[in-house]
Amino acid sequence: MSSGEAHVENSIWMRAVLMGSTFLVIGILAFATMGVGVANMRHHAYEEAVHEYDDAKHDYEEAKLSYENAKANNASTEEIAALKATKDSLKDIKDDAHHHEVEAHLSYLTWRTAGITILLMCVTYASFIGLGGFVNSIQPEEDDSHGASVYGGDDHEHHGSGSPIVFALGIMLFLMGFPEFQATLSDMLSGNEAELGGLGLSMFGLLVIVLGVSNWWREDLPFIGNGEQIATSAPFEGQHIRKAGLWVFIMSEIMVFATFFSSYLRMRTEWCTGWQVEAGNCEQVDMLTASDFLRPDGAELGGLGGQGDFMTLLPGAINTFALIVSSYTIVLALKTAKNANWEAPTGFMGKLMPTKKAAVRNYLLATLLLGSMFIVLKLIEWSHLVAEGFTIGTQAGSIFYISTGAHGLHVFIGLLVMLYLVFKADTVEFNEDNAQGIEYFGLYWHFVDLAWVVIFPAFYLY
Amino acid sequence: MGEHETHGIIENIFDGLLGKDIYFWNFIVLMVFTLFEVAAVFFSGIPLKAVWAILIGVGIVKGYGISAYFMHLKGDPRIYTRTALFPVIFVLLMLWGIGLSNPEGVTGLPAWCTPLSADYATNR
Repeated sequence: MSSGEAHVENSIWMRAVLMGSTFLVIGILAFATMGVGVANMRHHAYEEAVHEYDDAKHDYEEAKLSYENAKANNASTEEIAALKATKDSLKDIKDDAHHHEVEAHLSYLTWRTAGITILLMCVTYASFIGLGGFVNSIQPEEDDSHGASVYGGDDHEHHGSGSPIVFALGIMLFLMGFPEFQATLSDMLSGNEAELGGLGLSMFGLLVIVLGVSNWWREDLPFIGNGEQIATSAPFEGQHIRKAGLWVFIMSEIMVFATFFSSYLRMRTEWCTGWQVEAGNCEQVDMLTASDFLRPDGAELGGLGGQGDFMTLLPGAINTFALIVSSYTIVLALKTAKNANWEAPTGFMGKLMPTKKAAVRNYLLATLLLGSMFIVLKLIEWSHLVAEGFTIGTQAGSIFYISTGAHGLHVFIGLLVMLYLVFKADTVEFNEDNAQGIEYFGLYWHFVDLAWVVIFPAFYLY
Repeated sequence: MGEHETHGIIENIFDGLLGKDIYFWNFIVLMVFTLFEVAAVFFSGIPLKAVWAILIGVGIVKGYGISAYFMHLKGDPRIYTRTALFPVIFVLLMLWGIGLSNPEGVTGLPAWCTPLSADYATNR
């Protein structure tokens, strides 16, 4: 270990295992309360609502039949009028019951999806940070006496890391096995004989990813700011290589999202949506988009009758604000880390952030919580859309779920990196010398926010 | 992000206003404009073209706020802005491709979508 790095005991990594265990407990508790306890109550209410609707529908059908029979049998005008009034009032009751049934179903889906999503996210968090911490905690201790460094034994310049290559290899293996992944899982769940080839390859890929990431963390954790590599030739001459690399990565990400967006525009130009009908470009709506289900006036455009209301757009709107707030909290984390003269705030904030170390960690933790909330709300919203018939099997559903799903995946991957940043902030500490980690991750996180700036209006509002 | 000094008209107005830095004001602007964006859709009385204009306008303002200040492109060397804008060439090509690949690419789309066939599209 050189003097350019902090000395990190292997035992420190056990705190990552502890952190992983905490996530596991949170996930299980959330699932037990929301996904099972509340969801089961809501399911019971939903079943009752279904029965009520069935009864109301039955009553209405009978009243309708009586009314039609009375008309056919030339009954008196008063009798027909009375039967019509009964039929109309029963229709209102039936419609109310249907509305109540739908509400009860969506409420049940909200709690069940939230519970399951939080559990799955916490299990993934626990696997990543816990497994990574465990792998590093059982490594041989670094020998301080030789001045050897994980960056190559040089205080002034580190020589990069092979871990990203291992990580990329893991991703390649995971994706190679992925086409058979779902089929194998389906076979296993349905009790059929399953070919383990694709699933095995994907699982091996995941293992390689975890090993690559944990080694990457092990190399980065002691980094206290000395030896940041500087580019020596154009076009990034004089710039930090890691920062330049990140911008090139963001450049490639812009292209990925541009392909989704241009595909969407290409498809949308051929659809006769409510907007097109309203604009007089076509006569009859032939495609319902996600915004028709989500917007308050939804498919009122084009005369289909609105489907969305305030509550359907709410998760997307909250997510938009959540991403902006999370962008700001990560800016605050960096500002705090870079501030050599930082002073603890007074009042309530002072209790939350008594030290600079705690302040940086808590800002990062707030970012993690906001990002996690984004994923939970997104999946709740998806479950509602699928329940209402907007599935991935439709053209509009396909591009919507792929685009917003790709964005959600980016958010989730960012959250896994954020876990490590929270861990580093809590152990080694970020300061004015080594805050580049937050800065470079922040660039990625802001890009994710930027992508949402395009996706939200294009898919949710338009 | 955070530590980069930038100087310009916007910075002169907002940086230090009410004791808050440019990042705080950028955050407030982003929140307020998002509110406009959502409100434009919530209030059904607004004409469609106005909603369109609001969505695009708000998107541009928010995109600028995030990239210029939160991603500190405004304070960083120009090479980062060029790197970020490089894919725009491909984005424009792809958007233009919509005009080329749509069955009604020439007859059904507005002229600005089909620049090489502009005469035909406008005079059809």
